[in-house]
Amino acid sequence: MVDNEAGGRKHVDAIVIGAGPAGLCGAIAIAESIGDGTKVLVVDEGIEPGGQLPKQTHKFFGHEGFYASVRGFEIGKRLVDKAKELGIDFLMQTTLAGIYEDSIVAYDRNSNSVSEYTADYILIATGASERFLLFKNNTLPGVYGAGAVQTLMNQYKVMPGKSFLIIGAGNIGLIVAYQLLQAGAKVKAIVEATSKIGGYMVHANKIMRLGVPILLNHTIISALGEDRVEGAIIAQVDGKFKPIPGTEKEITVDTICLAVGLQPSVELVAQTGGEIRYISELGGYVPVRDENMKTTVDNVYVAGDLSGIEEASTAMIEGYIAGYNIAQKITGKDLSEKITDMKNELVEFRKGPFAAKVREGLKKMGISFPSGGYREEIQQIPSSPSKLKAVIECPQAIPCNPCETSCPTGAINTGGNINGVPQVDYEKCTGCGICVTKCPGLAIFLMQQREEHSIVGIPYEFLPIPEKGSSVKLLDKNGKYVADGQIDRVMINRKEKTHIVFLKVPKGMEGVVRHFEMSTASEESQAYICRCEEVSRNDVEKLIDAGITDYEEIRRVLRIGMGPCGGKTCRSVVLQIISEKTGVPISESRLGAFRPPVIPLPIDAIVRYAKGVDTDE
Amino acid sequence: MSEVKGAYNVCIIGGGITGTALAYSLCNLGETSVAVFEKSYLSSGSTGRCGGGIRQQWSTKNNVRLAMRSVELFEHFKEDVGTDIEYYQGGYLMLSYDEEEAKQFEKNVEIQREEGLDVEILTPKQVSERYPYINTKDLVLATFCQKDGHANPHKAVIGYAQAARRMGAKIYTHTEVLGIDVQNGKVVGVDTNQGYFKCDAVVNASGPWSKQVSQLVGVDLPTESYRHQIFVTEPLENFFPMMAISFAGNFYMRQAQHGQFIMGQGDKDEKPGINYNVTFKFEKELTVKMVELFPFLRNLRIMRHWSGMYNMSPDAQPIIGQSNIVNNYFYAVGYSGHGFMVAPAVTEALAELIVLGKTTHTDISYLNVDRFANAEVEKEKNVV
Repeated sequence: MVDNEAGGRKHVDAIVIGAGPAGLCGAIAIAESIGDGTKVLVVDEGIEPGGQLPKQTHKFFGHEGFYASVRGFEIGKRLVDKAKELGIDFLMQTTLAGIYEDSIVAYDRNSNSVSEYTADYILIATGASERFLLFKNNTLPGVYGAGAVQTLMNQYKVMPGKSFLIIGAGNIGLIVAYQLLQAGAKVKAIVEATSKIGGYMVHANKIMRLGVPILLNHTIISALGEDRVEGAIIAQVDGKFKPIPGTEKEITVDTICLAVGLQPSVELVAQTGGEIRYISELGGYVPVRDENMKTTVDNVYVAGDLSGIEEASTAMIEGYIAGYNIAQKITGKDLSEKITDMKNELVEFRKGPFAAKVREGLKKMGISFPSGGYREEIQQIPSSPSKLKAVIECPQAIPCNPCETSCPTGAINTGGNINGVPQVDYEKCTGCGICVTKCPGLAIFLMQQREEHSIVGIPYEFLPIPEKGSSVKLLDKNGKYVADGQIDRVMINRKEKTHIVFLKVPKGMEGVVRHFEMSTASEESQAYICRCEEVSRNDVEKLIDAGITDYEEIRRVLRIGMGPCGGKTCRSVVLQIISEKTGVPISESRLGAFRPPVIPLPIDAIVRYAKGVDTDE
Repeated sequence: MSEVKGAYNVCIIGGGITGTALAYSLCNLGETSVAVFEKSYLSSGSTGRCGGGIRQQWSTKNNVRLAMRSVELFEHFKEDVGTDIEYYQGGYLMLSYDEEEAKQFEKNVEIQREEGLDVEILTPKQVSERYPYINTKDLVLATFCQKDGHANPHKAVIGYAQAARRMGAKIYTHTEVLGIDVQNGKVVGVDTNQGYFKCDAVVNASGPWSKQVSQLVGVDLPTESYRHQIFVTEPLENFFPMMAISFAGNFYMRQAQHGQFIMGQGDKDEKPGINYNVTFKFEKELTVKMVELFPFLRNLRIMRHWSGMYNMSPDAQPIIGQSNIVNNYFYAVGYSGHGFMVAPAVTEALAELIVLGKTTHTDISYLNVDRFANAEVEKEKNVV
């Protein structure tokens, strides 16, 4: 992998610190250009490479060249696969402990060991850390950063709580709220101290139609609870973000999730001697760098959130720019064409209103990016088409165009600039629904007026997938109940998992209905009877309805009572349900077997005992 | 005689894998006038207590064929029967710790390969390379068939039962057969604790109770039931795909879909007779042996320990067929510990025999009870 120097120090052409989108793209660009991945070493603290990508279950914005419409974790996999194909080495669970004068030192947490490196070039792509917020009791267990919630939920598959209050309505807060809802948690509210939603409106719409309120001009005053979070006090704020007395409200939640912004992780750049400057538009202290991503130190480059808080597409592009520049110096080859292509991509991505802060921040470093040149006009929604047609509710200029590039009939365009607001040519739209499944903002709907009723097709990413014909409550864009309806059909999208649910809605409501709620059984029926194996009352009742009425039969199908408790809590409850449903008195019911051991018995203890007995004999 | 409660063409005694699969197979052939009588709950006998292995590595040609047909049916279980039974073809690794047995294994593999079964012979070195978590000390050789596997026996019974019910069969649980009505040498009905049912044919699929049930029609079956114990550990993430088994080493073990390890061994000192108790001696013997061979087990805990019956025949092979003493009395018993894995093929053949008068998929004539009248019986060697 690497050349060994005297004293066990290893040398590489380039070391990349951070295996997020910026670092991975940088490493790929270098390895591809020099034709040898083994000269590139990537170091990252995480368990798996990808940075924040493995935690992201939503589809990304942008264009297909940078994986738009692909889910974050999938993008991570693709980049990592590409890097590994090129032979790039990864040191995972390894923290770059310091860039010293004489050496780069890595600490492997797993083996509790240290190793030393030297490199001709360093690409630092360490990303950002989450900002914290000061409020009373903010150390109570149950207060999490949004990144931790995503790590637990999406990477480790552990839910940190059941009902959430989210602080901050930027894209991260909105996305985490949606992911929590997908995972079955409740989101009681999102509070946002400023007077507007900071994230994309399409992200906000996704959760508002599920009934989550976004409270603007609000902040958290205090977490409530003794040993852990049991609630929170929120209040309205004035123009100077000061809480207005008398507006306090109590919310019952078990988890508070902070999504109040990010700050670049500049420590390592500072250690190299690179200049650091405070530029609030870029997220606070950032490394000073030029348009080729080179810092004020000749062989040190940066990319991604470290160089200014932005998003994954621009992080990837910056990674490529830094990587090609490093490769150009290593090989002596002219890579200016590739570098220019990537710079042009950046220009396109940064033209819109959401890049305004980044543009301003970079101007302070002497780097300017143009703005404007895209369509902002919003198309009028046609009234009641007799055939199925797509309706796009994407009101802001955001750099994203999979609707345009996925449409098989060329009916959708963003007006020649990726930031443009999309429009539909209704002469060409066939209502096929491909754009509905592609749109990362889930902002495209299908509608049709029929004789008896209307049809609304909505993008759907929840489980369970509703069954055709079932009755539902129809919800509007704010999640308010507006009428009763029915599932007309469901178009399953196995690969990308954005399905389309077609709802039968009353005529004239096709512009109103944007989501639905199953008219499901009560909460009690979904509560767990068997907590060890997570079996609900509903599961048991369904089986009894199907004619499986013996405790032993139910036990073996559902694994009820097969967990560590051995059925100590659930057996009597199940017997009660069997009795209720079959009419056989519980006194006459068959108890089932009580198998030893009563508590899980360690094999080791038995073996030690058995061997002891043997020697005694 | 108690009150007449109903009439069926075929009455099956036993709600285990054989009884329910036979009901399903009969319905598939259009014979839907079928009742199953189970004295307890479904799979309460041997099926619901067994290890759930499904293998084709047998020592006789006929048994290999029967097992291969069964696997074909298991492979389509989900589509055909409509239930996910956690069927997984993770293979069977048969470990030999005995020179003589190893030679026999090699002979067996020849027979198996002649039947078209893909079986590998592995050296101890190959075993430890492939499965670094197995201690191969004292191992002589191993054979491996990837197409072998395992499934959840209880789910299979419920799957067959529900499919049979959907097609019209009736399944009576907690209904014990007390007598079988034979008139003029022909079966005409069964008497149960829930009433009398007329019928044209009776099938004895009563597993551990095969001998006693057969005595109800006055036919002697040479079967005896022996207790076998088994336990299951807490779950681990799945990493152990195959069933590991040894005859000389006297054990079998697999990891179920949920992650738990299920394992058992035989006991030569076991006396015949039905006994559902369990012994701590078993836990001690098996754990000491198994942590030696599979050291990772040391860190696990035992969750449940139970026992079930092997209904043994003199040659350790099932006894299946039609009586030539009492008309329309059929039996599918004496599985000797491997009824679950061959049930799909056995019941398919038996249903054909009942409905069509002959088998069309698999020949089971070699399993008829008449074979014990002959002096020479070919004993199945591959049994724990």
